[in-house]
Amino acid sequence: MPDSHPLQLTPRMESITQSVLAEPDLLRQLTDGLGSPLNIVLPEALDANVSAFRAVYRQHRLRGNIYFAHKANRSSALLRHLAATDAGVDVASLGELQHALGAGFGPGRIMATGPKNREFLWLAARSGITVNADSLDELSELAALVAAGRLPRVRVMVRLSEFASRGVHLVSRRSRFGVPATLLTEALDRLDKHADQLELVGVAYHLDTIGLAEKAIALEGCLAALDEGRRRDVPAWSIDIGGGFGVNYLADGAQWERYTSELAQAVLGRRSPLTWNGHGYGLRNEAGTLRGSLGLYPAYRPVSGPGYLDQLLAATAPEQRRPLGSLLLDSMIDLDIEPGRALLDQCGLVLARVLEVRDGPDTLVRLELNSRDVSLEEHGVLMDPVVIPQDSAGIAGPAEVFLLGNLCLEADLITRRKVVLPVRPRPGDLLAFVNTAGYFMDFSATRALHQPVGRKVALFRAGGRWSWCLDEQYWPVPERAEAA
Amino acid sequence: MRYDDMTEAIGNTPLVRIDPVVHGLRNIDLYAKMELLNPFGSLKDRAAWQMARPMLAGAAERGDTVVELSSGNTAKALAMIAGMHGLRFKSVTNRMKVPEIKDLLLLLGAEIDELPGQAECLDPSDTEDPLSRMHRTLTSNGSGYVHTDQYFNERNVEAHLHGTGPEIVKDLDGRAPDFFIACVGTAGSSTGVARALRQHDPDVRVVGLVAAKSDFIPGIRTIDEVHEVGLFEPGVYDTVETITSDDAIDGLLTLVRRCGTPAGPTGGGAFHGAVRHLRPIDATLTERKTAVFIVCDRVESYLSYVRERRPALFGRPPRRNDPRDLTESEVAAAPTIDVEEAQRWPGLVVDLRSPYAFQALHIDGSINIVDELFAELLHGGLPFSRRQPVLLVCPVGEKSARYAALLTRMGHPSVRSLAGGVIAWRDAGARLVRD
Repeated sequence: MPDSHPLQLTPRMESITQSVLAEPDLLRQLTDGLGSPLNIVLPEALDANVSAFRAVYRQHRLRGNIYFAHKANRSSALLRHLAATDAGVDVASLGELQHALGAGFGPGRIMATGPKNREFLWLAARSGITVNADSLDELSELAALVAAGRLPRVRVMVRLSEFASRGVHLVSRRSRFGVPATLLTEALDRLDKHADQLELVGVAYHLDTIGLAEKAIALEGCLAALDEGRRRDVPAWSIDIGGGFGVNYLADGAQWERYTSELAQAVLGRRSPLTWNGHGYGLRNEAGTLRGSLGLYPAYRPVSGPGYLDQLLAATAPEQRRPLGSLLLDSMIDLDIEPGRALLDQCGLVLARVLEVRDGPDTLVRLELNSRDVSLEEHGVLMDPVVIPQDSAGIAGPAEVFLLGNLCLEADLITRRKVVLPVRPRPGDLLAFVNTAGYFMDFSATRALHQPVGRKVALFRAGGRWSWCLDEQYWPVPERAEAA
Repeated sequence: MRYDDMTEAIGNTPLVRIDPVVHGLRNIDLYAKMELLNPFGSLKDRAAWQMARPMLAGAAERGDTVVELSSGNTAKALAMIAGMHGLRFKSVTNRMKVPEIKDLLLLLGAEIDELPGQAECLDPSDTEDPLSRMHRTLTSNGSGYVHTDQYFNERNVEAHLHGTGPEIVKDLDGRAPDFFIACVGTAGSSTGVARALRQHDPDVRVVGLVAAKSDFIPGIRTIDEVHEVGLFEPGVYDTVETITSDDAIDGLLTLVRRCGTPAGPTGGGAFHGAVRHLRPIDATLTERKTAVFIVCDRVESYLSYVRERRPALFGRPPRRNDPRDLTESEVAAAPTIDVEEAQRWPGLVVDLRSPYAFQALHIDGSINIVDELFAELLHGGLPFSRRQPVLLVCPVGEKSARYAALLTRMGHPSVRSLAGGVIAWRDAGARLVRD
């Protein structure tokens, strides 16, 4: 039976996000002065996220580094603020490495991952950071650079992939990264050959899945790899399990369940469409039966971030039949992680000005930003923006609207979903896309059509109220103490 | 009764009246169709045999593998049928949520493919979900697979249209029941039985039971999942109602404890859903009516499922010498020594870590008793002489402190825990060996 209640997807907002939204005058001044879209980052929200991951480490008595996956956001303020915590940073390009070094991370707190060019490898070797190698040839290329420059030995990890599931067969997605676990002997031979240039400190995996079972197999595979290293007297003590801890975006699981149920009904033609042109987000109707699979991020994820790490460590290793956390501890192995999205939970929002509200068969709301400025749709995350009205006079609501972008392109919808806003927006109002610091803020933004890329501003609390500065002006420097 | 093979024993299950004292309905006779008495253990035996039978000719010669998307009873039945005919069977599944069933399938010789979880960095334009890819492989010609396709195969419905349904009518002396209550899994049994009953009496009320969206009852689809089932026709059901796993277990307990019926959660859910639906109707009736529900399978495969949700049912007496009984002050008072003193320890060194970690590196001369095993030993009493000094070693000195406290309580005079564990030992540069 079609559900006639408005289908809201209310974002989960912790007190720091709420307290920023409670300053509409400040937000309006900022967009008036700096333009729309405007990206706001909240560096101090990082502290709670780092602490929550550390608490899981403590609970499992584990040591190791938390490397922030820099690619999730280009902000300098966030990176510099992290440099003031005990977290490290995972860099995946030459530019990110330069940025991290400039933000105050020492080489012991930086890990290079992903595909690398020679310049990236050279700066990594020169500055003495750890290199997480994606292939055997990369190890040799790095060793050659070290030898040619007579540089000190470089600490390396080897990223492994294609772990065999012994016992019941677990199908895995194909990955373009990493050294197949079956080539471990070759990898160790290669490292022996370059022993004067490279020092193996551990092995790594990163799997693009939310499934614990696959990760348990990979983690046990890494344990076996280090065991093999020990047999060859390699003093490697770390396993890097990558990221993918996830974020819970929505406040209410019931809303998410209701929305996805109704979406299925809409695709089956049993209720009015919920989307632009009846888009099914991967679902389709084949003779009255639902086919395909829902191509959406599970926006309501009660177990995510640090909680997901805890669950992984508590999971039983399929072969040794002991919790993975205990096995790491038994073998005295340090656990490294590379959270991106999860470390940026509640760390920022994107503001956009409403340009036009057009009535018709559907209400169309045109915004001064485009779908690449807040790339929620590209990542399959559905959550409602928050309306910040210009003034309280004449407020009406709720309203079902489509959100249109500022590009001269049919496809430029902020989301293909019809959004239910508790307040009907009017030209001049602001929409806040909250909790978008991780991957949705500047990851895909372009200057296509000469439209501006949003400026970035850091908000911080000083003297009990919110202050701001441009992102590049932010440094986590304590205020000067009053002269004694 | 003499048969040539077990498939001949499929079907013709009894229809058993449930004692009114148990269900409390005054005007409705409630009957259970005992599908748990099928030879492979469930209602799905009928559909599995009906679907597989026409595909068997030549399959063994070609060396084909029977494939089904199932993590339950259909897989079980197909595995046995495949085995009887010299075929291999592969079960493709999102996740085996009930460990006993996974073990049972492996015991029956089935091969299991588990599909991966959703991508964390989602690419919504990627239509290559593993299930779609799997489907393409199965349907391409000469794939070597025989796909029974239970969610779309009309023969699944026919098994019940010509079997289960008419059997019910025959046992009710040629009359259809007034109510038929069924859990919706593949929708094959509910659709087939409903059709058969309505051929006799178009007024039969059919109640479909599904699980709540975030709930899990093995063998029952959730309110959303039913739409992914090709055999599901909303028109079959007069009403579709939701039951919870709690309801299913309540029903299971009633059937198991009071009705002599070792039913699984699906049967329990059907019983609970039936009584819940019928009770208000019963109160208004002035004439007798009959209702039928299906007991799909047996309880034994779901012990862990029930244990997870009702641990109190499996209460065991406490065991002696359990480290969990220690008080915090006892643990705090556990006798410990530091690395330097430990290097001069004259007695036995017991390493409580996993065997793999022990074999990789350990303190020279130590012996390995992994903590779970050590706990088992201690339930029986002290495993070494009181005159034997013992140093306990674990990763960080936490578990070893608990066991040192426990051994002290058990009367061992010279047990110690290595403070900071083997990690402190390593960090102090003390020697570790592998033999």
